Amino acid sequence: MRGVLTVARKDLRLLARDRAGLFWVVGFPLLMATLFGAIFGGGGEGGRGSLAIAVVDEDGTAGSRAFAAQLEKSEALEVKKLARAEAVDQVRKGKLVAYVAVGKGYGDSPWGALAGGQGEPLLEVGIDPSRSAEAGYLQGILMEASFRLLTDRFADPKSLQEPVRKSIAEMEGTSGLPPAQRQVLKGFLGDLDRFLGAVDPGTVKQGPAASGPRIKTVAVERKGSEPRSAYEVTFPQAIIWGLLGCVSTFAISIVTERVNGTYLRLRLSPLSRGEILGGKAVACFAASCGVVLLLLLVGRLLFGVRLENPAGVLLALVCSALCFVGIMMFLSTLGKTQQSVAGAGWAILLVMSMLGGGMIPLIAMPGWMRAVASFSPVKWAVLSMEGAIWRGFGFREMLLPSAILLAVGAAGFALGVVRLRRADG
Amino acid sequence: MIEARGLRKSFGAITAVDGVSFALRRGETFGLLGPNGAGKTTTILLLVGGLSPDQGEVLVDGAADPTRPGVRRAIGVAPQSLSLYGELTGEENLEFFGRLYGIEGRTLQERVARGLALAGLESRRGDRVRTYSGGMQRRLNLACALVHDPPLLLLDEPTVGVDPQSRNHIFDSIEALRRDGRTILYTTHYMEEAERLCDRVAIMDHGKILALDSVDRLIELHGGPAVIDAVLAQAPEDPSGIPWRVEGTSIRIETDRPLEEVARLASAGLPLATLNVRRPDLEAVFLALTGRRLRD
Repeated sequence: MRGVLTVARKDLRLLARDRAGLFWVVGFPLLMATLFGAIFGGGGEGGRGSLAIAVVDEDGTAGSRAFAAQLEKSEALEVKKLARAEAVDQVRKGKLVAYVAVGKGYGDSPWGALAGGQGEPLLEVGIDPSRSAEAGYLQGILMEASFRLLTDRFADPKSLQEPVRKSIAEMEGTSGLPPAQRQVLKGFLGDLDRFLGAVDPGTVKQGPAASGPRIKTVAVERKGSEPRSAYEVTFPQAIIWGLLGCVSTFAISIVTERVNGTYLRLRLSPLSRGEILGGKAVACFAASCGVVLLLLLVGRLLFGVRLENPAGVLLALVCSALCFVGIMMFLSTLGKTQQSVAGAGWAILLVMSMLGGGMIPLIAMPGWMRAVASFSPVKWAVLSMEGAIWRGFGFREMLLPSAILLAVGAAGFALGVVRLRRADG
Repeated sequence: MIEARGLRKSFGAITAVDGVSFALRRGETFGLLGPNGAGKTTTILLLVGGLSPDQGEVLVDGAADPTRPGVRRAIGVAPQSLSLYGELTGEENLEFFGRLYGIEGRTLQERVARGLALAGLESRRGDRVRTYSGGMQRRLNLACALVHDPPLLLLDEPTVGVDPQSRNHIFDSIEALRRDGRTILYTTHYMEEAERLCDRVAIMDHGKILALDSVDRLIELHGGPAVIDAVLAQAPEDPSGIPWRVEGTSIRIETDRPLEEVARLASAGLPLATLNVRRPDLEAVFLALTGRRLRD
C-alpha cells in the first residue's frame, strides 16, 4: 500500500504543477457551470430573485429623487438610474426587465404617484408585454414605494403644507368648479393645512398608515423533482467535465510515463504492476473527488445549489469517480503516444458526454435521446448527481445508477490492465 | 551473481536476443559491447524481468524469477532513456525512487544527499529536472539507480549524448562504484569505455554474443597484430640491409610482439624521427568478428 500511495502522491504533485492540466480539470468545469448557469438562469436580470430595472427621473425634484431612493432600498429590485433613451434600449435588449419613468410634476403633487386627475400619470413603466408576471410584481413594488413615501411626507408635516397651500390657490383659480364642491374642498384643504401645521410628527409616525400593512413573511421552500435554478443543472454537468478532465489528464500521464521511460523504471522497482496502476488509480480517484467536492462547494456556497441528499451526493461522487478511473485506465491503452491517447480519449469522452447529458441537460432531451443516453456512463453519473442534488432520489433510486457506474468502472479497469500487461510484453 | 541462460526474445519477426548466455561474477564490471540494435537493452530488460524471455532463464544468486521484490531491491537499473520526472526537482526524483524501494526518513535523506553529490547536483537540487542540461539529467539518471544502494548495477549506455565533462564525471562515479565492490553490467557501443571500465566484455551483434573474455584476451584472440609506424630522419642509402620493408623514410611493422620489435628497431642504428606503436583494440576485435565497424 505504501508503494501505491507513493506513486499516487507523485502523480498528484505532477498534476498540481501542470497549470494547463489543472485548468481543464478545475477551471474549465467551473467556468462552464457559472457561465451556462448565468445564461440559462437569466444572469443579466440581476441577482437571484431581484428584478433589474432603470429609473428615469424626468422630474428632477427632491420628491422624485426620494421616490428613486425608495425603490433602491427595495431588496426585490436592482436599480440603475438612466436617461430615457438608454433605459428603453436596455429593456429592448433584455438587459433590464423594465424602466420606471418619473414624470414632471411628481414633486409638486402632495400625493406623489397616488395623485388622481385627468392628466398624464406621473409614473410610466416600460416592460415587454410577455413579462406579465414581472409587470404585476413591479406594480406592487411601485405601489408600496408610493405609499411609503406618502407616509414619510406625513412624518414631516411642514413639508406638505406648501403643496397643500398651492393646491388651495389652484382650486380658487379654477373657474369650472361648482361652488358647493369648491366650499367642501376648501374646507378640507384648509383643515388639512391647519392639521399639518399643528400636528406633532411623532404622533403621525405612530399612526396606522405609517408602517404600512404588517405582513409576516414565512420561508416556504419549493420541493419536488425540478431544479430550482439553472445552476442545479449546470453544476452536475460541470462535475462531469471535471471528471472527464481528470480521465484525460491521467490517461495521458500513463502513456507519458511509458514514452519518457519512467514507467519502465517503476516496473523495474519492487512494486508490482498492480501497485503501479493502483497508484495511478488512487491519484485519479483523489483528483476526481477533489474536483467534484470543490465544484459542489462552489455551487452550494455561491450559487445556492441544493444538496438534498448528502449521503446520495457522496455515493454519486464515489461511484462516478470509480467509473471514470476505470475508463481512464482503458483509454490509456488506446495509443502509444500522448497525441494518440489524447485524440482517441477525447473523441470517446466527447461522444459519451454528448449522448449522456454532459452537454445537453438530461431534462432538456427528447425521449428518444434519453433512451440513447442510457448507453453512456455520463448519463448515469449526471443522473446520480442530479438525483442527490435536486431530483429527490432516495437510496433505492440511487442504486441503479451507482451499480451501472461501478460495473462500467470495473470493466474499464480490467480491460485497461489486460491491455497494459499485453503491451508490456 | 546474475546469470543469463540461453535467453531468447523476439518481437514479431525480429529476433532481438538469440540464445544469450553469460554470468556476472560478484564485484566485476562486465561490458556488453555492440552497435545500436545489437540486443543489449533487450538483454538488460530480460535480466531484470522487464521483459519475459521466449526461451531461457535468468538466475539471480542461483534463484530464478528476477521479478521478486527481494531481487529487485538488489538491482539498480539506469535505463538508456532518461527515466526522470521533468516537473519534479532532482531532489524529489531521488526521494520518489528511494521511497519506491521502501526507504524513508533519515536514511532516505542521506541517500538523496549522496545521490545529489554523486551527480554533482547539490546546487541544483531544488530546480526542476526539465531545466537541467542533458549531461546533468544523465548523471541524475545514474544517481536514481543507486539511491537504494544496490549491490548489482545494470547501466544501459549511461553516457549516450553527454558532453565530455559529464562523461568523465560518470566514468569517475562508475570507477568509484567498482572500487566499492559493486557488480556492474555496462552496455555501450563505445569501445573506449568498455576498455577503460570493464574487467570482461561480451561482444554482441544481431542478438548474439560473438565473443566473451577479458579485454586483453579478446584483443589477443581476435584483434590481429600490433602496428609499429616508424619515420626515419633521412631515407637510408641502402634499404636492402634493413630487415623491414622501407618506403622512403617510413617503416611499417605488423607484429604480435611489439615490444621486442621496438627494441630491435632501436638497436638497428637507424636515425628514428618518430615512432608510433598501435595496439589492436576492441574496434579491431569487432571488425574481425563481424566484418563491420562498431559505428556502422
